[in-house]
Amino acid sequence: MLAYLRSKRVGVTRDEEGRYLARGFLDDDIYSLTLEVAVSPEDATIAALEGHWLRYTTPDCPRAVSLLAEAVGLSLKDPDFVNRVHKVVGRRACRHFANLLLECCDCVLRAMAAAEGREAEFHPAPAAEPPPASAPAAGPVRAPASTGPAPWERELPPAPQGFYLDLHVHTAPASPCASSSLEEIVAEAKRIGLDGICLADHNHLWPAAAVAEMRRRYDFLILRGNEITTAQGDMLVFGLEQDIEGIVTLEELRHLVDDAGGFLIAAHPFRGFLVVGGDELGLAAEEAARRPLFSLVDALEVMNSKVTPNENRFAAQVAQVLGLPGTGGSDAHQAEEVGLFATRFPVRIDDERDLVAALRRGGYRAVAFRREKGLTG
Amino acid sequence: MAHLLCFSRCRTTAVEELSPQRLRSTCHLIDHRLEARVWIEVPLPGLEIEAVGCRLERGLEEVAEQAEARLQKVRGVRVGPGLRKILPGLIGRRPPWDELAFMVEECCQGVILTLTRRELARAPLQPEDSREHFAEMVRKNIRLYNRCAAFAPGSSLVEGLEPPQADGSA
Repeated sequence: MLAYLRSKRVGVTRDEEGRYLARGFLDDDIYSLTLEVAVSPEDATIAALEGHWLRYTTPDCPRAVSLLAEAVGLSLKDPDFVNRVHKVVGRRACRHFANLLLECCDCVLRAMAAAEGREAEFHPAPAAEPPPASAPAAGPVRAPASTGPAPWERELPPAPQGFYLDLHVHTAPASPCASSSLEEIVAEAKRIGLDGICLADHNHLWPAAAVAEMRRRYDFLILRGNEITTAQGDMLVFGLEQDIEGIVTLEELRHLVDDAGGFLIAAHPFRGFLVVGGDELGLAAEEAARRPLFSLVDALEVMNSKVTPNENRFAAQVAQVLGLPGTGGSDAHQAEEVGLFATRFPVRIDDERDLVAALRRGGYRAVAFRREKGLTG
Repeated sequence: MAHLLCFSRCRTTAVEELSPQRLRSTCHLIDHRLEARVWIEVPLPGLEIEAVGCRLERGLEEVAEQAEARLQKVRGVRVGPGLRKILPGLIGRRPPWDELAFMVEECCQGVILTLTRRELARAPLQPEDSREHFAEMVRKNIRLYNRCAAFAPGSSLVEGLEPPQADGSA
């Protein structure tokens, strides 16, 4: 028995002016829509775009149609074209129109290549691209915490009033999705009374000297971390002095973090688990805790401002089942989000080595920092 | 003048309920250059890809063996956020691997839309009745706010709602 069926059909022709015209039709159990795209042959830009709904879900879905025109002018040959379509059409208008637009444009590119005798570009020799890195051979991947390099083991001065760090902060331009600069982030973090922030830009390792200089300039604790995308989801990593490019498996990352004596936290581990129907799948915390990835992390992020309250609560329940500590971080992408959540440590932290030592030592907890401090903006 | 097609494509994604706890999603592509089929199997409620496979029938025969090996890398990936980054990262970003990665993504979208369909089956048919249903859906999953034109500021479905986490209440 089929539970769902989607069909897409695209045909490409050329008009009298030589423009490529793609007509697409998407029809599935939920939506039905059509799209007509005209592409200029000279620069491969979208010259015109028109869409129509045949079936849709919400009473306000028709608002999407007039917004499709914002994609006019985009170049199909822009290396970032797919992301631009998802942003301009998918986010502002409708992701189903974006899906069909990408299908239409891919067909136009292939038609153009055929007309220009460049079809081979789509079919390079099999060895043209090396396969993505493989996971290391199977075997024990998680070193006991006690075997970590000695420099990370250190006594830290107590902080009776708590030491508040936002462990998950993004900055522009290091994270393309962020909109506030480090300077703006730091100014806001100081204003609301955080003791420090951790930079967790996506697969971006800040140079130690540059961050030390900023720490001096702003007279504020700025620590280096990294949010690394793995096949099993995003991971917050502290203490790893290595740029990670592309997608690695969590096993690979675990090896690297162990070798560096660092600390690895599953970021927003249930983001998207409970949206649109997902919350009715009946996933129990005990069952979720058996996901293989949790045997490879040191802690779970249980407070993150980019997930729903239910997803945060569920992450906290799973952390409890696992007996793993929970951390808090805003996942701020703009200054006003810094400190929505943070981690309260019982010790003072002055640098990254302190941070890893404090994370290993435990005794910390995730907090809704702004709310606890009575801050709303 | 005959307006002949210079390129044509059909792509179908079908999701089958193998059991109450297991879905198989298959993407079938046929166009002037290629014909291929990619499938994934995911258990409910975990939604982590447990099995994946392909049949490359035309235009990709030379890479069939490599394709199978690359596809196996997605086992363990959860159907959820981040797939557009994770799948090409594991399978490959350049032709012909980008097409295979997209086919897996389409399979995953099929799984997500299967769950969405179940939810939407409960929505009232009349617009005046369904408005509150969808407004409640956004309230429940505030991340939907501003994710598309229907849920953007100015839409009647998000009237009175605050942007996500503006008060730190998540």
